[in-house]
Amino acid sequence: MDAIVDFFRVYQTTIGVIGINALLALSVWLTLYAGQLTLGNAAFMAVGAYGSALLGMRVGVPFPLGLALGAALSAALALPLGLAVFRLRGVYLAIATIGFGEIVRVVLLTLPFTGKALGLNGIPPITELWHIYLSLAVVAYVLWRVQQSTVGRAWAAIREDEVAAASQGIAVRRYKLAAFVAGAALAAWAGGLSAHLNFSIEPGDFGFTRAVQILVFAVVGGTPSVAGPILGAALLTALPEILRPLKEYRDIFAGLILMAVIIYLPRGLVTLAELRKTRRLQEIGVADVA
Amino acid sequence: MAEQLYNAIFVGSIYALFAVGFALVFSVLDILNLAHPVVFMLGAFVALFFMSTFGVPAALAAVAAFVLTGAFGIFLDRIAFAPLRRRGAPPLSAMISSLGFAIVVIRLMELRYGPDLVSYPAGSLPQTVIQIGDARLDGLRLLIIGLAIILMAALTYVVRATQLGRDIRALAENPRAARLLGVDVDRAVAATFFISSGLGGLAGALLGFAYNAIYPQMGTPYELKAFTVMVVGGMGSLPGAVLGAYILGIGEIAALVFLPAEFAELRDALAFGLLFLVLVIRPRGLLGHRTADRA
Amino acid sequence: MRFRLFALTAAVAVLLAACGGGSPGAQPSNSTGPKADIKVGLAISLTGAANIYGPAQQNGAKLAMEQINAAGGIGGAKIALVVEDDASARDQGITVFRKLINDDKVAAILGPTLSGVAAGAHPVAQQAGTPVVAISNTGVGIVGKCDYGACDWIFRASLGEETALPAALKAAKDKLSLKKVVLMFESDQKFASDGAEIFKKAAADNGITIARTIPYKTADVDFSAFVTQAKGESPDAILASGLAGTASKVLIEVGKQFPQGLRVVGSNGFNSPAVITAAGAAAPNMIVGTAWNKASTDKTNTDFVKAFKDKYGSDPDQFATQAYTAMIVLADAMKRSANATDKAALKKALEGTKDLATPLGAFSFTAEHDVKQPVFVMTVKDGAFVPFN
Repeated sequence: MDAIVDFFRVYQTTIGVIGINALLALSVWLTLYAGQLTLGNAAFMAVGAYGSALLGMRVGVPFPLGLALGAALSAALALPLGLAVFRLRGVYLAIATIGFGEIVRVVLLTLPFTGKALGLNGIPPITELWHIYLSLAVVAYVLWRVQQSTVGRAWAAIREDEVAAASQGIAVRRYKLAAFVAGAALAAWAGGLSAHLNFSIEPGDFGFTRAVQILVFAVVGGTPSVAGPILGAALLTALPEILRPLKEYRDIFAGLILMAVIIYLPRGLVTLAELRKTRRLQEIGVADVA
Repeated sequence: MAEQLYNAIFVGSIYALFAVGFALVFSVLDILNLAHPVVFMLGAFVALFFMSTFGVPAALAAVAAFVLTGAFGIFLDRIAFAPLRRRGAPPLSAMISSLGFAIVVIRLMELRYGPDLVSYPAGSLPQTVIQIGDARLDGLRLLIIGLAIILMAALTYVVRATQLGRDIRALAENPRAARLLGVDVDRAVAATFFISSGLGGLAGALLGFAYNAIYPQMGTPYELKAFTVMVVGGMGSLPGAVLGAYILGIGEIAALVFLPAEFAELRDALAFGLLFLVLVIRPRGLLGHRTADRA
Repeated sequence: MRFRLFALTAAVAVLLAACGGGSPGAQPSNSTGPKADIKVGLAISLTGAANIYGPAQQNGAKLAMEQINAAGGIGGAKIALVVEDDASARDQGITVFRKLINDDKVAAILGPTLSGVAAGAHPVAQQAGTPVVAISNTGVGIVGKCDYGACDWIFRASLGEETALPAALKAAKDKLSLKKVVLMFESDQKFASDGAEIFKKAAADNGITIARTIPYKTADVDFSAFVTQAKGESPDAILASGLAGTASKVLIEVGKQFPQGLRVVGSNGFNSPAVITAAGAAAPNMIVGTAWNKASTDKTNTDFVKAFKDKYGSDPDQFATQAYTAMIVLADAMKRSANATDKAALKKALEGTKDLATPLGAFSFTAEHDVKQPVFVMTVKDGAFVPFN
C-alpha cells in the first residue's frame, strides 16, 4: 500500500499530464476524423491556458468558469479561422494551422499582460487528477457516441470523399467547422487544466514542437477509434519516465520505438486488434490475404 | 541600405539551399521529411571530420559532405520511408517516422560531439574580405551566394533536361503509371533522396563555414522557415521554393529595417501572417502548379 | 470492446511506469557499521535544449562530492549524488524533484539548470520543505521574492543577472565613457528578456542612452541584418542578452562589420569558452560580468582548476564551478548543522554560511538566500577570459 501511495506522490504530475495529453490527442483526433489535418491545437491550448490562468489570477474567476471561458474564447477564434481555411486540404491545411499557431505564439510573446517571454508564474496548482480524468471520461464517452451518430457518419463520409459527401447533401462546411471548433474548445479546456497543474506557463510551451507532439499521440494511437489517441498519449507520455533508467540514451530508444510503432502499425496502435482479427479470419479462410 | 540588401540575399540563399531539398522530396513523394534538418547538420559535421582528421581543405570537405550525406539520404529512405511505402501507409505516418529518425540521429550526434558549439580548425576557413566602395563584403558569403545560384541552376537542368529528371517527374506525377511506363522507380526514389540530402548536407557545410559554429540541433530553426518558403513559392515547384526563399529572406530583413521599434517583436508574426495569407488567398503559391485539393 | 483494450493498455503503461520508477534507494538504514550515505539530489538538463550546461554541472558537483568523501565525508557519512535528467522540460523537472524528495529521500537538491524549469520545480521543494540550492538560475524571481509565494527553502549559488549586468555595464562605462548604445536581446527566452530589462535599468542608472532596441528570436539564423541595423545608430557599444548559441553569432557579425572593433557587453550566455572559440578573432570585443575568474590565484581556485583538469582532461567553465561551489557550500552547512539529514536544521545552517572559501571567492548567503560574492568583469585575450581593466 505504501509503495502505491509513494508512487502516486512521485508520479502524480506524469499521470496528470497523461490525462491532459489524452484530451489534447482527442482534440486532434476529432478534426482528423472529419478529414482535417490540424497543427493548430497547441495554439488553442495556449489560449485556454493563458485565458483561464489570467482570468483566475487577475480577475478572480473561479476555476471551472475560467476553464469554460478559455474554451469559449478558443472556439470564438477557431470559427473565423476554420472559415478562412476550410477550402484547404491535407498538408496545406496543416501548414496554414502551423502558421496560425506561430502567430499566436508571437502574439503571446508581445502582449504585455501575458508576461511575454517570462510567461505566467505562480499559477495556483488547483488541478486535481479527478478533474482531468473526469473530463477525459466524459469527453471519451461523448465522442464515442458521436462517432456512431449521424454526425459521426457525416464526418466519416467527408473524410472519405468530400465531393461525394457534398453531392449526397451533407452540409460539408458546417460539419467540418463543427469538428474544427469543437477540437479547439477541447484543446483549450485541456490547456486550462494544464496551466493549473504545473505552476507556470510560457509561450514556448505551445509552439510547433508541441503541436507535432499532439499529432503524433493521435496518429500513433490510431484514428479508427476513440481509444486510439488515449492509448497513444498514455504510451508516449509515460515513455520518458519508463525509459528513465536509460539515462542519456533515453531519447535514442524513444525515437526508435516511435519509428518501430509507426512502421509496423502505420495506422496506429489500435489497429493491432484489427490485425489480429484479420489474421484469424485469414486462417479460417474467410478474409482475403492482404 | 545596400548592405541590408546584401544581407537579405545571403539569408535568402541559405533558406533556398535548405528548402530546395525539402521541397524536392515533398513534390516527388508527398512526404514532409522532418529528418531534413538532420542531413543539413550532418553535412556540417562530415566536413568538420574531414578537415580536422585529415586536414582536407574546406572545398574538398564540402564535396565530401555532399556525397556522403547524399548516400545517407538513401539510407534514411530505406529505413524510415520505404517500409511505409510498401504498406501503402498515409503520408502522415512517413512524417512521424522521419521525426523518430531525426530524434535518434541528433541524440547520437550529441553523445558523440556534445551539444555545445563546435568550430572548424583554426585557419581552415577563408577569411577574405572584398571592398566594394563603402561596403565590406565577406568573401565566403559572396561565394555561398554564387554557389547557391549555380546549384539551383544545376538542379533545374537535371530535373528538366536529363533522363533522370524525367524519371523523377514521372514518379512525382503518378508512381504506378511511371512503373508501367518502364521507369525504374526505385532508382528514381534513390536519386531523389540523394539529391535532396546531398544538397541539404552541402548547405549545412557551407553554413557551418559561414558561422564557424555548428551543433547537433543546428538544423531545427530552418524547418519552419522551409514550410513558409514552400508555401509562398508554391508547393511542388522547385523554382518556387527558391523564389519563396528569397522573398522570405528579403521580407524578414525589410520588416527589420522598416518596422518602427515598438513593433519589432511582431516581425515573426509577419512571416507567418504572410504564409497564412498566401494559403488563404492563393493556395498554390506563386509558382505552384499543383491544386490545393491534392492532399 | 475497444474500451477493454484501452483500459488494459493504460493499466500496463501505468504499471510499467511503476516498475521503471521503482525506488532503488529505499534501503533500511544500518544502525551499526558504516554510516548511511547522505543523499543529495542533482536535477539537471542532460538532454533537451539546455543540455549544453548539464554535463559541466554534473562534473563539477561530482568532483566536489568525491573530494568531500575522500576527506572523511560529513562526520564519517559519505555523500551520495543522485543525478536525474529533466530533459529541459518543466513537467519532467517537477516529476524529478518529486522523485528525489519522495523516492530517494534526499536531504537537499541542487538545480535545475533552467529558470523556466525552476518555475515549476522549486515550488515542489518549497511545499515539501526541502532545501534547494540553485546552481545556474540567474533570472529574477528565483530567491527572495518569488511569484509562487514564499520561497524560503530556496537558495541560490549562481550570481544573478541583476548583479552581474549592472557591474559589467558600469565597468564598461567607466573605462570607455559610453554614452549611446544599442540593446539586442533574445526576446523569446525568459532569461534573456530578464537580462534586457536589467540592462535597460542599468543604462538609465548610468546615464547611458539606448538608441535602439533590437529583439531577435532563438530561431533566427543570421545576424548580419541585426548588426547592420545597430551599426546605423553609430553606437559606442552594443548590449547583448542571449543564450550561448546566439551570442557567438552576434560577436562574429560585430567582428565583421566593425573591423576596428566594437565592445559588446554581454549577459551570462556569453560566458562560455565555446563562445570564445566560435567567435574567433571577434571574441576580444566582449565584456561580461561573471561569477568566476578562472585566472584567480586564490588557492581554493587553483586547486579546484587543477583537480578538475586532472580528472576530466579539460578546464572547468563557470557552470561546473558553480555546481562545485554549491556542493561544498552544502557540505559545509551539513557539517555545521546538528543533523546533516534534518532539513530544517540544514536550512538554518545554510543561512549561516559566511565567507566560505570557494573557487568563486568568499561566499555568503544574503538575507534573501542569494549569493554574495565579488563580481568579476571579464574580457577575452588570446583565447581565454581575462579581467577587464
